[in-house]
Amino acid sequence: MNDPQVVIIGGGITGTAIAYHLAKLGAKRVTVIEKDYLSSGSTGRCGGGIRQQWSSPYNVRLAMKSVEHFTRFREEMDMDIEYYQGGYLLLSFDEEEATQFEENVRMQREEGLKVEILSSKEVSQKYPYIRTEGLKMATFCKTDGHANPHKATFGYANAGKKLGVAIHTHTNAEQVDVQSGSVKGVHTTRGYFPADIVINAAGPWSKEVGQLAGIDLPTESYRHQIFVTEALDYFFPFMAISFSGNFYMRQAMHGQFIMGKGDADEVPGINRNVTYRFAKEMAIKMVKVFPFLENLRILRHWSGEYNMSPDAQPVIGESPQLKGYYYSVGYSGHGFMIAPAVAEGLAHIIMNGSSPFLDLAPLNTHRFRGKTQREKNVV
Amino acid sequence: MVNPQFFIVGAGPAGLCAGIAAAEQGVSVLIVDEGFMPGGQLPKQTHKFFGHKGFFASVRGFDIAHQLVERAEKAGVEIRLETSVAGIYEDCIALWDRKKDHVWESKPERILIATGASERFIPFENNLLVGIYGAGAVQTLMNQYGVLPGKDFLIVGSGNIGLIVGYQLVQAGARVKAIVDIASKIGGYEVHSRKIERLGIPILLNHTIVKAIGKQKVRGAVIAPVNDQWKPIASESRELFVDSICLAVGLQPSVELAAQSGSAIDYIPALGGYIPVRDPQMRTTIPTVFVAGDISSIEEASTAMMEGFIAGFQVAQDLTGTDMQAKMSNMRDELTALRRGPFSSKVREGLGHFGIHFPSGGYRTETQTETGPFDTMKALIECPQCIPCNPCETSCPTKAIEVGGNLNGIPWVNYEACTGCGICAMICPGLAIFMVQKKGDKAVIGIPYELLPLPEKEDVVFVQDRKGQVLGEATVIRVMKNEKEKTHLVFIEVPIEWADTVRSVQVPEQKKNDYICRCEEVTVEEIERAIDMGYTDYEELRRYLRIGMGPCGGRVCRAQTLQILSSKLEIPIAELEPGTFRAPSIPLPFRAIRRGETDE
Amino acid sequence: MDTRLKEHPILDEWGGENLSFWFEGKHLIGHAGDSIAAALIANGIDSFGQTEKGTPRGIFCAIGKCSACMVEVDGVPNVRACLTPLQEGMRVSSQAGKGKPIW
Repeated sequence: MNDPQVVIIGGGITGTAIAYHLAKLGAKRVTVIEKDYLSSGSTGRCGGGIRQQWSSPYNVRLAMKSVEHFTRFREEMDMDIEYYQGGYLLLSFDEEEATQFEENVRMQREEGLKVEILSSKEVSQKYPYIRTEGLKMATFCKTDGHANPHKATFGYANAGKKLGVAIHTHTNAEQVDVQSGSVKGVHTTRGYFPADIVINAAGPWSKEVGQLAGIDLPTESYRHQIFVTEALDYFFPFMAISFSGNFYMRQAMHGQFIMGKGDADEVPGINRNVTYRFAKEMAIKMVKVFPFLENLRILRHWSGEYNMSPDAQPVIGESPQLKGYYYSVGYSGHGFMIAPAVAEGLAHIIMNGSSPFLDLAPLNTHRFRGKTQREKNVV
Repeated sequence: MVNPQFFIVGAGPAGLCAGIAAAEQGVSVLIVDEGFMPGGQLPKQTHKFFGHKGFFASVRGFDIAHQLVERAEKAGVEIRLETSVAGIYEDCIALWDRKKDHVWESKPERILIATGASERFIPFENNLLVGIYGAGAVQTLMNQYGVLPGKDFLIVGSGNIGLIVGYQLVQAGARVKAIVDIASKIGGYEVHSRKIERLGIPILLNHTIVKAIGKQKVRGAVIAPVNDQWKPIASESRELFVDSICLAVGLQPSVELAAQSGSAIDYIPALGGYIPVRDPQMRTTIPTVFVAGDISSIEEASTAMMEGFIAGFQVAQDLTGTDMQAKMSNMRDELTALRRGPFSSKVREGLGHFGIHFPSGGYRTETQTETGPFDTMKALIECPQCIPCNPCETSCPTKAIEVGGNLNGIPWVNYEACTGCGICAMICPGLAIFMVQKKGDKAVIGIPYELLPLPEKEDVVFVQDRKGQVLGEATVIRVMKNEKEKTHLVFIEVPIEWADTVRSVQVPEQKKNDYICRCEEVTVEEIERAIDMGYTDYEELRRYLRIGMGPCGGRVCRAQTLQILSSKLEIPIAELEPGTFRAPSIPLPFRAIRRGETDE
Repeated sequence: MDTRLKEHPILDEWGGENLSFWFEGKHLIGHAGDSIAAALIANGIDSFGQTEKGTPRGIFCAIGKCSACMVEVDGVPNVRACLTPLQEGMRVSSQAGKGKPIW
């Protein structure tokens, strides 16, 4: 298809990146509709981490490709998104996990990623401000990093607009027009948009938006809380993360610490409230590992959603039931970091029928019929 | 966990009254406050409050705070100070005891958010310089801590706060160069602006501050008149030498906690900005959450107290089942009476948005034209606006004053009943009552006075008109001191032509710092006073004042001292005893003396 | 420079006994009942620190709402001087921009 009419539902990193890449490949009739403001969903609430240290080769490849995009973002999109490669330090407090990490590193190195393995003693020597009690080992990849997710979204949106993408915020999708098994258009609060292609990039609302087209997506949204502290002089360059320890933390360029953890007690649904229990649990946990946090104060506390899929891997592809209906959802907490690569890949598939570097087929919904391999490296 | 039935955020007048109302019905109440002194904005208010006798009229703010705290504690309310409510989370209220640095969780049955308001900030060039303060900050520092942050002030804003702080600055010994306001009329009560004007402080309407001058601290300010579009007219700007700029440009409700609790917030400029939506019983859209005080509309301490009581009564009814309708209705009547006046028109308009209606009118609006006769001392009231205030009426022992209907009315004096006792003049919160007696070609005027130094009988003072213009001098013939109320009456005698214009006195600057003796820092005035006290000999003066006893041995000061003595006693210097000249004439070291002894 | 009021037409007296404290290593006297901000201003110190960009910062609201008065007290940064009572022996220093990590 050389110039399909595309309507993308969702103005987060996924929606805007796909729009940009489609336009870059020649699509001139791309529209993004966003029910609120750009990046108001998961993208704008996340910690901004960009990690390549995954437990499956597939994810590692996607992430490495995305890092290439992030690295040239400023030049290509003409926007500084505060991208910084400070590295990710993965801390393991569990023997079994430590063994798994070592296997992961072997695999990551095969994929071409440079990763270091550090013993607990080495961590202590290199980073004396980390209390290593109970630490088994750590892995460090210095090309991992972080960026500003709002700016990245705006970067894609602005670059897309320059190439003719239309973006409508404060516009709700109400129904997807389906005729004879194909999409025909989308009814919105701003009127009807005819479409050959509809892409569900609705993040936390992926399931509800799927239902507007009669499509059932196996995704559920769970609240994740996060907060930011007051600033300290900048000295902590990497993202410290632990799956066994259940936390992540990084220091932003202006000195504030951003941190969060998972909560097994959360129920599915959108909930933007914050609990004191989270603040309490984080304070106790993080000061144990990072004693220098003792005197700091929490400045702002908010929450966002992980749009989870059954195996914590994104759900991407064209719907087998509905021609022209694509989805790029269920990113389970790592959407920001792999969005650029997926966007480019999906845009190629839509415009050219296939993607030169990425096979997105394994990520479609049919995988849930069989046994799936769960991505473990998720907080 | 800390679980009172009723959790109140803010120990200001609204919070304290709500606590009192509920605790007196047996509800367990906890009030937390961030500061380390309870009372909210009350402890820094040194002026007398308006309103009526039953509600602390004519009582000074800090006294009201004491009384409320006492009553609250007596009712069993627990007050925790230095405790900040860190947030109303989904699962609990987190309170941070800053003294112990310990966070407590609370899950009360009812919450009252009485967090008041915060100062607005306006943009102008260089407005981050040190020395630019919110008006409340200046009040806190000088009245609560007795510390003056500057000496020469420019005040921006002529609302009640700007006017009151201006007056309080003068009471604390600072100078106010001007009050500017971009509006074309004075925002606050005229009785407050008149107090300022008769001190000679100009209130410049249609003016704004253009910039603050200084590198790191304020050294001056540039003000300018504004045109129809409220833009400063640069060609007419001028500089004022000030070291402090006080911003009194309005308050905005502190609604953060109310928003966190889930209550709906509406934008209602007439009430001050973002306001939590609430019903007549102060309940928000969350049934367990109430608001009262400045958070629910920028108004006064008296309305904060009344709203606090209403919220407290409703909570008591919710939690104990006792019928509190009568008490709430009573309080609602108080609010109604107060809000009938013209100064409450914005609040009435704003509350209309919530479907809450308060009536206006029902009081006298005319000033008394037929006053006197003043052949014996009588009261003359210069209270030209309808403000909710009537202590003059309730304090008069012969019932000679009445405000006419509702307490917003303008007071009139029944001159047959007035005995000229002066009680009303000392009690009036606006210092708007003067005592006048006209006898032949002279008049005696009694001026309410709250400054230092307090003049004394026989002092000569400058007399000023309503704009602070000095008309001349007069002698103080009597001072009625009121140690309890701290509003004194200073009676001066002036020519009859000035009877209707003199409304202020100014004590001449005492300390001229004109020294005679450099070593011991003795001034002309001190010498003259000593001579008046009877030390009429140079040697007596020396002993009493230590003139000439310093290192110079009198070389600098002897002649001048004799000069003063001579002119005061009207005796030529030649006939005065000049004192003895004696060795040593310069200070002589021991060591040199000893050396002289030991090494020949 | 002493900016303390010695007399007032309405108020009788303020704080109590003298308290020793230190600001930037200099020994100063405050009164019991002072807030740290009041004690500093009483000693002629009206700028307590700097913003992150280095501009001197003085107090604005004095009731804890604007966070302009943050100082470091006994090693703990970001203390609001206007809402914290002065205590005997406190070591206060101005805060230039952000606090320093201690571990």
